[in-house]
Amino acid sequence: MASAAPPLAVPKVEEAAVQQPNNEVVSPADALYDRCGERSQGTVFFQRDLSNMQVAGTMAELTMLLQELCDRHLMKLMTLEGEPCWKLRSRSDADKLRRLTPDERLLYHHIDQAQTEGIWSKALRARTNVTQQVLTKCLKSLESKELVQSVMSVKFPNRKMYLLKHLQPSEDIAGGPWQSEGDFDAALIEAVSGAIAQYVENETCIKVPGNWNDYEQHDRTAVIAQKKAQVQGLRDIEEAPAVKPYLSMGDPTASKVVHKNSPQYPTAASVANWLNSKGILRGKSCREDDMEQLLEMMVLDGRLEKISGTSYRTVLTAVDTKVYNGFVDAPCGNCPVFDLCGDEGEISARTCVYFGQWLETQSEEI
Amino acid sequence: MSYNQRETPILAELCTFLVEDVYGELAARVYSILARHGRQTLAAVARASYLNGRQIKYGLVILLQQHLIFHSGGEPPVTYYEIDWQNSYAVVRFGKVAKLVEDRFGRKAANVMSNLLTLGHTRIADLKEAYFPPDTESDDDSDDGVVNGAGLKRKRAYEAHVNGKATKLNGVVNGVPAELDDVKPDPQSLANGDHATNGTSKAAKANGTAHATVIEEVEDNDEIASVDELYDIIRLLVERGWVRTVSDTQYLSPGDMHDMLQQRAIEEELGGAAMTGTKDKEKVHRKTQQLKRQIRDEWLIPPKFSRKRGDDGSNKRVKINGANYASAHKASSPEDELVVRVNPEKVSVAMRTEQLVQLVEQRLGPVTAYIYQTMLRMLEAHTPRCYEDFPEPPLATGEVVAEITMDPRFLVNARDIAKRLPRDFDVLEGLDPNAVTAVTRKGHVHRSNILSTAIDPSNLSMDEKTQLVDKHIRLLAEDPLHFATWHSRAGFSQWHIEFEEIAKQLIQSEVENTISARKGSLGVKLIRALRKKGKLDERATCNAMMMSAADIRGIVNDLTVQGFVQTQEIPKVERREAKHSLHLVWYDRQRAREKLLHDTYKGMVRIVQRIAFEREKAQPLLSKAERSDVVGNEAKWLSKSELDALQKWKEVQEKLLLQLFREDDLVATLRDFHGPLVSV
Ligand code: SF4
Repeated sequence: MASAAPPLAVPKVEEAAVQQPNNEVVSPADALYDRCGERSQGTVFFQRDLSNMQVAGTMAELTMLLQELCDRHLMKLMTLEGEPCWKLRSRSDADKLRRLTPDERLLYHHIDQAQTEGIWSKALRARTNVTQQVLTKCLKSLESKELVQSVMSVKFPNRKMYLLKHLQPSEDIAGGPWQSEGDFDAALIEAVSGAIAQYVENETCIKVPGNWNDYEQHDRTAVIAQKKAQVQGLRDIEEAPAVKPYLSMGDPTASKVVHKNSPQYPTAASVANWLNSKGILRGKSCREDDMEQLLEMMVLDGRLEKISGTSYRTVLTAVDTKVYNGFVDAPCGNCPVFDLCGDEGEISARTCVYFGQWLETQSEEI
Repeated sequence: MSYNQRETPILAELCTFLVEDVYGELAARVYSILARHGRQTLAAVARASYLNGRQIKYGLVILLQQHLIFHSGGEPPVTYYEIDWQNSYAVVRFGKVAKLVEDRFGRKAANVMSNLLTLGHTRIADLKEAYFPPDTESDDDSDDGVVNGAGLKRKRAYEAHVNGKATKLNGVVNGVPAELDDVKPDPQSLANGDHATNGTSKAAKANGTAHATVIEEVEDNDEIASVDELYDIIRLLVERGWVRTVSDTQYLSPGDMHDMLQQRAIEEELGGAAMTGTKDKEKVHRKTQQLKRQIRDEWLIPPKFSRKRGDDGSNKRVKINGANYASAHKASSPEDELVVRVNPEKVSVAMRTEQLVQLVEQRLGPVTAYIYQTMLRMLEAHTPRCYEDFPEPPLATGEVVAEITMDPRFLVNARDIAKRLPRDFDVLEGLDPNAVTAVTRKGHVHRSNILSTAIDPSNLSMDEKTQLVDKHIRLLAEDPLHFATWHSRAGFSQWHIEFEEIAKQLIQSEVENTISARKGSLGVKLIRALRKKGKLDERATCNAMMMSAADIRGIVNDLTVQGFVQTQEIPKVERREAKHSLHLVWYDRQRAREKLLHDTYKGMVRIVQRIAFEREKAQPLLSKAERSDVVGNEAKWLSKSELDALQKWKEVQEKLLLQLFREDDLVATLRDFHGPLVSV
């Protein structure tokens, strides 16, 4: 990308502009400007591009025209890989710029230099040496003229970063695709991680119906039990056939999800590709780093688990019933007065209402 | 000091309750003095209590017999007594131990184990007599006068245990609560079958220490038919490390043991000179640790058992028993004089197996879990303990002590497991159907993931079975918890298990479970974020969790209050202004672990107290129901409402006990599977 010209050249240009307001209507300079305006917005012009337009007859004339356009703020001088180059400004912007005070213009220039990264107000002051009052005043005025905008940095939440109005703040200050206005976009994150969870499950798991392996049972005890059940016309739970000794029966409707045999485990890169190809993010694209952040968060959430350094898979639980542990499943493990509860006295195991409810017995009245 | 031997007031309270429940009031009173005052002499105990000397001695004898206390066998005449916290706590596990043994070695072995638990340490001959009472009363134990009178000097007491146990306890039994009648090692009451098991299970039930069902369902074929069979069972239990021989050194508290061995280390390493400088210290420390390991490992060396009983065997036991051998049964086996007890460390190993299997069942399903169970139990035989209490200290230079090559006994391969699976075990279940066809090469998988050709697992060849088992092991290995780790390709792939890492994960998952129950998934997410990233300020926390600060402040606060996360304020300017400070949050696994362990002990105390309270309420009814005219004729003498109330009490007790045992599982995870953690 183009970087702005060294600041040294700037004051000179600006002074010139202030001293010699130029109001020619149709001049070679304007012609050059118009020719450049025919190209797509944001194009960067090198010297040979401009001379190829054949507006100026000689190189010296071209230099003069460019100087004039720069003085009128219609063009901006930059360097790209050491070569000078120019970019257009809209006439309205140039108009606004012409009306700026020198201080404002100085600040504008520094802000312009920072491009999408933005510049912190303190850094701005340090570079320009203006007083705090001037700084505040000028920034306000620039903002009200819609030339610059301020954004809260995501990296340093108490820093106000300034950048030009028409620029999209970089991810460093505005956060990745998961953030909007400096905060995490919970709804977006929820939607995207839901889609990703499904994707990863498809990649790493397989749904197996209960009757996937429908072999003949010839377990004698099972046969006997089944016969018995037929005879009695009812099925005795106690004597339910121990067909597959460690499992429930192969019910075709009860399918279960198991880990795939040697799958291609998704990585941040592959999931990012998938997501971008689906266009779920509407215009924004997701880089590998962004995806890693999201996937790591999903690991914390217990939706994914990490298999090796970079690959992920779905967390499966084979049983549905959620038991925690012996402590928290008992009344005391979740008791609001746990720390106050003593061996005797008003709050104790004898008087405990929670035990009373849990056991359905009477506790001691206090 | 052993991690298990760390004591807190709440643990002391819990253990005192347990001891009172199982061993009665007298023992509990002596015990509670030691629990409250720490290491004491007999005289000091006497001063601190209202008991008379004789009572205290009786109390101490019971406690010693059960290994609930240590004594310093140091310079006579002063002997110090000190509580063995690990063994005291282990009282709550009696029922569980019997169940674990039953699962592995069958009911007969479980029966022997329960008896050993009830008796404390026991001379094999006494155990034999309990099962096979001699025709005439042996008078070999009649010197209890000496024992009770002066038996508390260390040496004497120890000999007394070895030699005169039965009589001694008989003496003690008088004057202690009826509860102890059940555990009275009167040979008759320990005999085979109903009588013995009733005795055990009743004691256990009443005391809240057993899965009552385990012991109650005694069938006829559970009877140990011959002395040889009994000996074989004992030998099996000793060889597998469930039972170990008792020696003097096991009575030393970790502190005393340390002093003794450090002294020995100084003598051997420095020729007795005083330690000077860090180098000497390190040397001595290394040696001390080595000696500790050595002593401990000696306890576990199984003594030789004679093949034929009644042989005039070699004098293996002389080492243990000294001169007492002379007075032993003449017509008995040489190992009769061995004194054995349950090895608590092995119990932890088995509990670890059970919990890991449960976890795998939750994550990967029952079939993989069963395979894992087979795998773990194969390893159990060679795993004496969960973690090394006395690790070799790292070299000062920072390099790690050379990796010891993996002992082949800690390796398992799929074929060994496949061979042990029951014939009709459905090894196919829980696998990707594609994995199955890849092995069997029969048919293909339909789009709906149904096999085109069904496969009967009982018709698989051993080779196919092995490969399928290997698929399950791969599932175990790929799991983020790494339940198995690939070791080498020798033969079929060999696997080992990194218990250390898994144990840490178990602890972590219990902390997460606790938080999840209390605070839901948000709390768990925070803990995981902190665990992964270390100390975070608010912004970094938000970034990891991808949430706004407002959404996480509440949970940070809650978990701080509960002691699961720590916070720290680092001022950035000279005046400590909150606004200008850095606020860091972090999670310290070891702290969370200790907090949870402590709270769990407290939860257990409350349950024990509630049981006592519920029993107290039911007491009038219970006394009536236990009257001899009522027993067996409940329907006749008790009203409908009384019967209902009785039933209710039983249910309440069962529910509370079940919860108590589950809390104990948690204690095992938090405390027994891993040494202190170093984190953050
Ligand atoms: S006994 Fe009751 S009041 Fe006390 S901690 Fe337990 S639940 Fe809370």
